[in-house]
Amino acid sequence: MKQLHLIFTIFARHEYARFFLQLVFTVVGTTLLSFGKSSDPIDFFERNIRPILTEHCHACHNHELKTAGLDLETAAGLKMGGQSGPLVSINNPEDSLLLKVLSYKENLKMPPSGKLNIQDLNSLKTWVHMGTPWPESIKALVSKKNVSTKDRNKANGSLWAFQPISDPTPPQVMNQSWIKTSIDRFVLAKLEEKGLRPSASARKETLLRRATFNLTGLPPTIDQIKKFVEDDSPEAFKKVIEKLLASPRYGEHWARHWLDVARYADSTGSDEDHKYPYAWRYRDYVIEAFNKDLPYDRFVVEQIAGDLLPKSTELEVNQQRIIATGFLALGPKAIAQQDKTKMLYDVYDEQLDVISKGFLGLSITCARCHDHKFDPILTKDYYSLISILASTRNFKDSTSHVASLFMKPLVSSKEYQEYQTHQDKIAAKKTILQEVVGKVNERLIEVESTKLVDYFVAAHQIYTQGKNPKVLAKQYGLHETLLKKWSSYLAPNQTFRPHLLDWQRARPTDLFFVARDYQENFRLQFTEWTSKLNQWRQNIKQISKKEDREPAPKFLPGKDRFFYEVYLNSKPKNEKITAPFLISDSDHELFSPKTVDIIKRLKREIEFLQKISPKEPQMANAVEEGIIVDQQIFRRGNHNILGEPVRKKFPVVFDDKCKDFVIEKGSGRLQLAKWLTQPYHPLTARVIVNRVWQWHFGEGLVRSPDNFGTTGNRPSHPKLLDHLARKFTDGGWSIKNLHRFIMQSNIYQQASFRSKSMISIDPNNELWSYFPRRRLDAEEIRDGMLAADNTLDPKMGIILQEGTGFQPENSSDRLSLDPESVLFRTVYLPLRRANLPPFLRLFDFGDATNSSGKRLQTNVPPQALFMMNSKFVEERSHNLANMLLKSSLSSNREKVQYAYLRILNRLPSVKEEDTALNYIEKFQQKTNKTKDGLNSWQSYCHILFSSNEFIYVD
Amino acid sequence: MDLLNTPTYKSRQISRRAILRAASCGFGYLGLTDLLSEKSNLQASFADGGATAPTGHFESKAKRVIFLFMHGGPSSIDILDPKERLHQDDGKSLPIKRPLAFDDENPAGPLMRSPWKFKQSGQSGIPMSDLFPYTRECVDDLCVIRSMVGEGVDHGAAMLQTFTGTSTFTRPSMGSWVVYGLGTENKNLPGFVTIKPALSHGGAKNWGSAFLPSSYQGTAIGHGGLYVKDVKNEPIKYLTNNNLSPELARFELEMLQNINERHRSLRKYDPELEARIQAFELAFRMQSEAPEAFEVDKESTLTKKLYGLDNPVTSDFGWQCLLARRLAERGVRYIQCTHTYMPGGVGWDQHGELFAKHTENAMQVDRPIAGLLKDLKARGLLKDTLVIWAGEFGRTPVSQNGDGRDHNPYGYSIWMAGGGVKAGFIYGATDEFGYHAVKDRMHIHDFHATVLHLLGLDHEQLTYTFGARDFRLTDVAGKVAQKILA
Repeated sequence: MKQLHLIFTIFARHEYARFFLQLVFTVVGTTLLSFGKSSDPIDFFERNIRPILTEHCHACHNHELKTAGLDLETAAGLKMGGQSGPLVSINNPEDSLLLKVLSYKENLKMPPSGKLNIQDLNSLKTWVHMGTPWPESIKALVSKKNVSTKDRNKANGSLWAFQPISDPTPPQVMNQSWIKTSIDRFVLAKLEEKGLRPSASARKETLLRRATFNLTGLPPTIDQIKKFVEDDSPEAFKKVIEKLLASPRYGEHWARHWLDVARYADSTGSDEDHKYPYAWRYRDYVIEAFNKDLPYDRFVVEQIAGDLLPKSTELEVNQQRIIATGFLALGPKAIAQQDKTKMLYDVYDEQLDVISKGFLGLSITCARCHDHKFDPILTKDYYSLISILASTRNFKDSTSHVASLFMKPLVSSKEYQEYQTHQDKIAAKKTILQEVVGKVNERLIEVESTKLVDYFVAAHQIYTQGKNPKVLAKQYGLHETLLKKWSSYLAPNQTFRPHLLDWQRARPTDLFFVARDYQENFRLQFTEWTSKLNQWRQNIKQISKKEDREPAPKFLPGKDRFFYEVYLNSKPKNEKITAPFLISDSDHELFSPKTVDIIKRLKREIEFLQKISPKEPQMANAVEEGIIVDQQIFRRGNHNILGEPVRKKFPVVFDDKCKDFVIEKGSGRLQLAKWLTQPYHPLTARVIVNRVWQWHFGEGLVRSPDNFGTTGNRPSHPKLLDHLARKFTDGGWSIKNLHRFIMQSNIYQQASFRSKSMISIDPNNELWSYFPRRRLDAEEIRDGMLAADNTLDPKMGIILQEGTGFQPENSSDRLSLDPESVLFRTVYLPLRRANLPPFLRLFDFGDATNSSGKRLQTNVPPQALFMMNSKFVEERSHNLANMLLKSSLSSNREKVQYAYLRILNRLPSVKEEDTALNYIEKFQQKTNKTKDGLNSWQSYCHILFSSNEFIYVD
Repeated sequence: MDLLNTPTYKSRQISRRAILRAASCGFGYLGLTDLLSEKSNLQASFADGGATAPTGHFESKAKRVIFLFMHGGPSSIDILDPKERLHQDDGKSLPIKRPLAFDDENPAGPLMRSPWKFKQSGQSGIPMSDLFPYTRECVDDLCVIRSMVGEGVDHGAAMLQTFTGTSTFTRPSMGSWVVYGLGTENKNLPGFVTIKPALSHGGAKNWGSAFLPSSYQGTAIGHGGLYVKDVKNEPIKYLTNNNLSPELARFELEMLQNINERHRSLRKYDPELEARIQAFELAFRMQSEAPEAFEVDKESTLTKKLYGLDNPVTSDFGWQCLLARRLAERGVRYIQCTHTYMPGGVGWDQHGELFAKHTENAMQVDRPIAGLLKDLKARGLLKDTLVIWAGEFGRTPVSQNGDGRDHNPYGYSIWMAGGGVKAGFIYGATDEFGYHAVKDRMHIHDFHATVLHLLGLDHEQLTYTFGARDFRLTDVAGKVAQKILA
């Protein structure tokens, strides 16, 4: 009840207090009700008791440990009790030891971590009174339908977002002449209602800068500015929109919006942060989808179930549509999680999260452990949807120590097989090479290890007295190569090696004797180990099938560190140490001429095979159909406690919309996608048109773009939202048409100035009485600056990250690429989830891990430090200054104009020109460094790049 | 702005502007609790540019945290939790069921006794092994917790849980929550600094702000793959202007602000524009004043020696600890030093060679840690600084590879010192093998609840709304360990 009290205090002073309290009571009320009504004792146990035992008791009171003689894992154990006697008194339940101990009033207090909460205590009390029912098996548990929850569900289904999309008539307005599109009617009607007038039209340069950044993420060029300013036709802005929509820069920019929603990144994040080597294919798919205006419903279906659609082209494989499922495949994954079931279900949960937030604007995953607190989503619904994802394949091998990722070939299976066979051949040759070297190694050491004393003593002379290894090798009859290795191995360094302590501490007179101990020890281990190996070799010879052979023996390094380190440790973690008795295939002088020939031949063959090998087939980080799972509910989200089975279906609240989408076979992904994109699904179209609106205006009509549920915001213009959703759906789900519709409205073309009356009547601009000024996003800042000094590299489809798998713990290979080191558009920079580029984080990029339809916007001094001190901004300023000085512009005044046009995309006023010239002159006087004034021009460009006018778009 | 839907905010009628300001002021300068304290006058504290005294949910002794993180998992039963049973049963097999292990490729060996001797020390007589002879001199200041429990058996999961409360989702780190709750005391420095953090096993997530505004994220000073000498020159990115003299930089800034002022005067009622003008002023002051905090070399020879800066073995971690003290003095709220997988090293992750590598590791950190404790105490800083020493888990009582130990999150030890914890105190216990915590178990959620409590924050009230939910560091769990409070 403490929590309830808390909610009380929190809401008590709030204007919506009454509403929320009602809600809280509805929820709590029904929970209590269903709790009391639960008549099935087994269900009661599973729902309420087992989770408590698992969480609080089993760590100590389990079958194995039986702390204090008590086993609480079985009914028998409970009955037996522990050292303090029986736990439950059947005749007098209130007197049961169990309850006393839990009450924390006796000497013995359990659990030791602290008293259980009231709710759990009450459950246990009820359970004891019920006679401690305990199923011996957890199978076949079917609980009865919970009527009360369903009622609640229906009630919450009345939320606006679940209502059918209406078809409102655009309202009448007084100021007819202001209307350009029907959107303006909905907006103006509300403004007029509140006694506000819309703002005047924005200046042409302003509108062009706004539209160009908005559609392409880049500033307009000087030519574009000139052309638009001089074009007096009524079609002028329309032409601009068309031109921008036709530019490939458009897809690059709008794809980035979607990639935020899709929580796109190039690595698994979480624990090991392995690379997704082909993530960029999905990124490029999204860019292309926007550029070619792929209808949104198709876009949705392809991302969820592209692999299940018929082929889109004449190619043998459905490449683009397989790549599209990267939407599901590229999420964060805890691949080193050792509880592999948990790992898998965390992945499914994450996928459901991005689907539900991204397409439905709902947070369904709240229902993993309990029915959703606020929205009409039941735990049952959650597991129904999860079963779809659980029947989908995400891993090549999910059971391995660090799970390996699934990658899907984008070529025919025949072609892929060919490649694979070739690779196997190469691997086989490499094994032979290894065996040849290994055999020589073994024979060599068989002999050389009898001279280990000499190696030690000679090595000592090298590293203490600097003697010549060549001379010493000859003198002692040793291999020079090996001697050198021994010298560097034995030479003292900063690492602490207990197994070498005897040697390091030996007095000069004892060196021989100590070395002899090492030699004897080595010989002993060597003989034992090689005979073990030979035994194994003999054994496997008799077994023809590879799979039936026992694996090669492993040497337990701890058994003898010295032997292991000098002879077996091919990959020492500590790079300072190399194994002196381990030879490589390039130590030619250690092999007989004949063997050298063999080695050379093998290497040539490998090289040749690699040369003629077919190229690695194109692959994608994608998903495919997996083993179809019969899903059960996990009680309290704990996969060790199974509840009732569920069918694959869609949330109950949508019941009337689900008839046509029954899942009979397969994972059900395709049905899920089709269910989402049925023409008048109440959420799908509303959610995307709201997103697009927000990406034009900075705020959506619903200001919580990922949350259309109870706790989200209500739409400011519900009818306009429906109007847009309908037009969008009826017009074939075209995003580009939606842009045209929105941008041709007068409301998009308003000025961004604010007046006192606007601020007092409409402080948050929910009526859109002016165009909201916005700060450029991280990508726009970087790309915009690169465009201004003309260094932006416009290449598309850039791949900057290759390879996969393990990287050393703290190598800089774990960092994302530094955005300051390349000149491509920001969308092409690979994103390592665990270490995103600081520049992006600094400008509120987000974390590339949670689906996010809206970025936060901060305004902090470290951002100013970037502007003031980064090499990036310095370089841009330097380049632009150089450009000015080397240009054909004759007067300084023209140079100032040019800088303004490139950075702020407008011409300066005369006063601004005067100020600039004055500054440049003064700066020049202060420095006197260069005659051409490069420094002062650079400083002035630096100022313009740092200015508010650059970073805020009116 | 999701912030505004936070019940906590709504209930106290905090304006959108106030929150933006809080987030906009430097590195998370103002904390949530400042905003919630109805007496605090935001405008005033901004106008005078001075530091406001932090106020949490209630009075507290600790004002800041120094977290000494031992990456890889130091073995509790070889450092803080002696087990007689392991001596008796050395070489015998473990008689209880072995819980989920990390490295199943190398099956667990038999029980293995600790290769180190334990000695009781100080008035309190707390035992500590020969691995930490210097820190052992300070045991009377320590509160040893022998009953830590986590859920991750792999480094990534365990580290993410240690620092963010969960390994399953991306959540704000403890340091971010603390700065979000309390703000910082020094405008010119970040509120949350992490020195040479590990890039692996969660990497920046471990000091990230997730969905909290990015101003609350930790500022990293270099990373674990670098040596101190590589870090010294530019400890914080973009902090120094290498292009212009301070005079010219000021001249340039004045021109910029002129242009910005003119721009703003034409665009009324937009607080963002004014805020950015202010941000440049603050930034300029930071770049002139912050570098001084990093001038560790200016400390006296004696102090440097105390931290082991005179010895190549201890100088790297010594520099971290000494920098931590300098930052603590200057009002940084949350500081982390990490001893990690150095270039070519293996951290505390001894699946083999426990004796050799733990010895090496301990030698690198022992003197600096003892130096830090003594120095903090001498300067009167220990009483309001909470020092925490911990790894992401402990290690198993059974051996691995013959001379190593596997990961053990089921019962391990950490210690705290200063800032409101009982000194010379042992809390909790593991079973006779040192495998499971059995008495006063302190789950990582409880640990977080306790640390927040020590700083004056109620872990149940420190919430932030994201998506459709209120989030907190302790999720839906966490109990304050009352017994360790001084």
